[in-house]
Order: sequence, then structure tokens, then C-alpha cells
Amino acid sequence: MSADGGRAPPPSPRRRWPTGSLWLALQLVLAGSLVLLFLVPIVALFTYAPLSGIYYAADNAAVRAAIWLTLFASGISVLAAVVFGIPLGYLLARRAFRGRAVVESFVALPVVVPHLLVGLGLFLVLAIPGTLPYRFIQAIGFPVYDTIWGVVLVMVFVSAPYTVLASELSFQAVDARVVEAARSLGAGGATAFLTVTLPLALRGIVAGLLLSWARAVSEIGGLLILAYAVYPGGPYNGPVTSTVSVYIYNLFQNGDLADAASVSSLFLLIAFVLFLAVRLGERTGWLPWRRGELAP
Amino acid sequence: MSHWTVDALETDLDRFHLGPVDLDLAPGTATAILGTSGAGKTTLLRTLAGFLAPSAGRILRDGVDVGRYPPEERRLGYVPQGLGLFPHRTVAGNIRYPIELRTRDDPRPRVRELLARFRLAPLADRYPARLSGGELQRVALARALAADPELIVWDEPWQALDVLARYELGLVLHELREEEHLPVVVVTHDPALAFSIADSFVVLRGGRVLEQGDPASLLRAPSDAFVARFVGFDNVYETAELVAGAAGGLRAWLLTLAGPEGAAVPCPTLPPAASASPGWDGKVRSARPGPEGLRVEVVCDELLVTLRVPPPVTTPLPALGTRVRFGIDPASVQPLGAPRRREGGS
Repeated sequence: MSADGGRAPPPSPRRRWPTGSLWLALQLVLAGSLVLLFLVPIVALFTYAPLSGIYYAADNAAVRAAIWLTLFASGISVLAAVVFGIPLGYLLARRAFRGRAVVESFVALPVVVPHLLVGLGLFLVLAIPGTLPYRFIQAIGFPVYDTIWGVVLVMVFVSAPYTVLASELSFQAVDARVVEAARSLGAGGATAFLTVTLPLALRGIVAGLLLSWARAVSEIGGLLILAYAVYPGGPYNGPVTSTVSVYIYNLFQNGDLADAASVSSLFLLIAFVLFLAVRLGERTGWLPWRRGELAP
Repeated sequence: MSHWTVDALETDLDRFHLGPVDLDLAPGTATAILGTSGAGKTTLLRTLAGFLAPSAGRILRDGVDVGRYPPEERRLGYVPQGLGLFPHRTVAGNIRYPIELRTRDDPRPRVRELLARFRLAPLADRYPARLSGGELQRVALARALAADPELIVWDEPWQALDVLARYELGLVLHELREEEHLPVVVVTHDPALAFSIADSFVVLRGGRVLEQGDPASLLRAPSDAFVARFVGFDNVYETAELVAGAAGGLRAWLLTLAGPEGAAVPCPTLPPAASASPGWDGKVRSARPGPEGLRVEVVCDELLVTLRVPPPVTTPLPALGTRVRFGIDPASVQPLGAPRRREGGS
């Protein structure tokens, strides 16, 4: 029959995995489905809220107060994550000590505990008049019940772990030999940290800070209990308001669906622009922490 | 330039114990720390550099014990494995780093000088990720010198270098000794490379100093089979192998010349030298040409013996399985584990 005298075809491999364009298509379908899911609520919000609605929301004093409070409180909580979270991440990454596993579990705890419980726990300790911790925070001027300090406290609690975990991983990834070289070249411990370790870990830390910030602004569970309304006091001296999340929740509860969608869309835009700015800053090298990867 | 002395230095790291180690690092000398992986080479370097605290002994810089000084005060240029360059700084930025730490003066003249000296000027604005292995080595060395060290300590300098870059590095290390008059300590697992630059050796194994001295003495009388193989002897036989031999055979003959640990034999040549002993018959197992002539492996009295045909090789490659006759000069057989009997000539 055939020219080669009917020789048997070469044995086929036992298993055939998809290759080439089929493999690519599979990846695209799987990854694309998830991206689509992410897009659904966002598209829904923007379709429900007309542009004029977003504009009016931006012009509304009450909405602006809620947005201002949220950005302000989340800013303070990110600052707290920088001041307290980065050192904790460094400690966990570079020092061996007894009970490290326990500390690491405690750091992960806020991520897994339902946030209503966080609010309730903080309320029980810090917001019931007469208890010792309550009297203490009153005395030092940090009342938490329905104040900006309460908002910050809840936000730090739920968001700082992301900074701690990201810093720990980033510090671990810094080659210890590079730091030792710096020491040998004449840098003391703190100098080597500031000039070598921190710059090399910065990119991961910033990613953690962004996550922390995102987690902080989206918090609602703990706030519903500890700081449902926020009265002027401390660094906040605007009108009585609440965070954006609580504000939107209130609108929804009152049946103002269009307003809820408008405020949500507005806040989404603000968050998106902030994220985009950081990413672009990295890409262009204007923010310093990817130098050496991108440049000549 | 400083004269460094390491005096009975010991370090404990988890369950690993290093030492005691004694070193004399005079200006302009190069010392190689040799050993296989896990021998304690890097532990010794990190102790010298101040990243591990010694548990005993002293590190003296011109007579001053710096063993408790922090790394930044030792005046020691430590180049770790992988070089430890700063990936977020350019070539010039790497070299500028130690200068900025030490003085408030304008660092640019010194940076320019070092860039020119190590032929790095065209690469000054590049980041390390974009350099070749040889270029990275030069940056590491320029940066170490920018700190004005009193001793250069380099962990595996030849790692991941191609042949040309290795050759070039050898020249640079020589220059360091002769022009800067710095003592240099290099760590390597490759004796051939170490022989190319070092005046003295320390062979470590399991944290212990097995052998120490100049290259000649190390080659003349290796202390045991491990050191003998390590320094490049092809034919190394332990006593246990030799005692099994029958009378009249090669093994029994070697046993009469061996020390307590066995014997090391430099490659006998083909055709046999006049001074070589009776003559043994070996069955050819392999033969391959190389820059140093022809290497022929034969089996004789159940021992594998490597022979050498020095260049120019005019004879054809011996066929596998054929028999060749070779001789061993009894004076060339190095007893292992014996006191160095030939050193004094007594």
C-alpha cells in the first residue's frame, strides 16, 4: 500500500497534553473567567450610576466628608503600618527567637478572624466606661468609641498584617551576603539597613502597604460596632459622618440604590487612580524601588 | 600595609566546630583556603570578616586583636560568594558606596580612578544585572579597594567564570599583591586555581586543618589520601587496598614504599624513564589526548594507574585492551601519613 511497505506508525506518547495554541487558549479562558468576575460588579456600579450621579456625589458635602474621613483615617493607619509593621516584618525575617511561630500566628490572626468580632472585642475592652483600659485611653486623650481613633484602630488591626507579612517576605528575599558586603565596606548595622536592605525590600513592602491601604478603606465589620458614626475630635474636626463603607451601607439600607452606586463609583475611581499612580511611578522609575531591574 | 596573624582561631556554628586555625598573612602574600563543600572555608572567612564571633583564639592586625571588632571597623575587604554587589546601584554607585561612608570629600576623583584602572569606565552607569561575570568581578574588586582595606578576603573568586575571565582574574589578583602590597586570602575548592596564585595553603576538612604550608611541601608530602587526591595526584592508594595484594605484584611493591595511610604516585611516563622500577604490565582501559600530552589509564594488579605521554605525542593512541609496559620511580612514591621524611633529606 504505502511507499514504506506498510511500516507501523511511530508509537504515540502515552499521554497527550494540550500544546501550542490550544494550551494558550486554555490559559486565556481560565484566567479570563476570573478577570470577568472581577469586572462584573464594577461594570454594574458604573452602569447603574450615571456620570451626573457621580458628579453630584462628588459635589455633596456629606459625601466629601465621608471620603475625606476615610482617606485621612486610612492614611494614618498606613503610617502606623510603616512605623510598627515594617520593624515587625524585619524582626520575623532576620532574627531567630523563641516563640517566633506564635508571633507569626498572631500576625496572621486579624486576616482570618471575622471583623465583627474584632469590633466587638475592641468595644468590650476600650469602649465600656469604667473599665481600666477605657479610663487609660480617656486619660491619654485617645477615646475610640465613635471617634476617628476608633476608625484608625480598627483599620490598623485589620490591615497592618498585610504590611508585616509582605515586609517579612521581602526582607527574607534580600541576599544576606549583599548586606554583609555593605557592613564590610564600612556601614554600621543601621546604615546597611537604610542603604541596602530597605531599598532592596522596598518594592515588596510598598505592595504590602498598598494592600494594607486597600484593606483599610474597605473595612466595615469592625467599624459598624466601634465607630459607626464619627464625631469631630482629635485630628478630625469635620462634621459628624462615617467612613465611605458605612456611608454606602446606610444609603443601601435606606433604599437609595442610585446614590449608593454613585458614591461607590466615585470612591472606586479615587482608589483606582491612586493605585495606577503608584504602578506608573514604579514603571517609569520615578519611584525608586525598581531601579536596577528596569534601567540599563 | 598591615600584617595580619590568626592565632588558634576557633568558631562554633550550631553543631559545626572550626579550628584551631593559625595563619600568617604578610603584606603582599596570597593564602588559599582549600577544601570541599562543608569543610569550613566560608565559616573561617566570615569569622575573619566579623560576621561570626570566634569562640577562641585571636585575629591580630599589626598586633592589635580585632577579633571583637564589628565588621565595619576591621578594614578588611570581604568579597562574599556571589560578590554581594548592590543590585540597586550602578557600577559607579557601587564603587562610590564605601567612599561616601568614609569621607565627606568629593568621591568622584577616586571613583573615576578605580573605574579607569579596572576598565569599567564605559560601564559606569550600568546596573550589575547587565554585566558579564568577569565585569562583575572587576566591580567587586574595585569596590573592595575603594574602602582602602588592609586585607582582601575573597570567597570563591573563580566561581562561574569562563576560562578567559579566570585568566584575567589571576592577573588582577597578582597585581593586588604586587602593586597594592595587600595580603590576600582566597577560598576555593579548586587546587589548580589556588596553585596559580597562592604562596601558602590551608587544607580544611570537617572544620579541621588537615594540611598547611607552601605549594611545594603540600605536593611533596600530602598527609593522607584525601589531601593527595585533592591537590591533584591521580594515583592515590590507601593502605587497605595495598595489603590485599599478592607477593611480587604492584600492590605488594607499593606497600613497601607506602606510609601508614597509603601512597600517592605522580603519573609515570610512557615510555618508562630510566630510573623507573622493574616494569609493570598494564591493560589499557582508556586513552585520551589533552594539552599536557596523552593520559592513559591502565589496570595493573587490580589497581587503576594513570600514565602520561608527554608532548609532543608522536606514537599513536594505544588500543583499548592492549598491554603496555610502564615503570614507577621508587623515589617519586609519596608515603601518606608519614612524617615528612624527605623534607630534611635525612
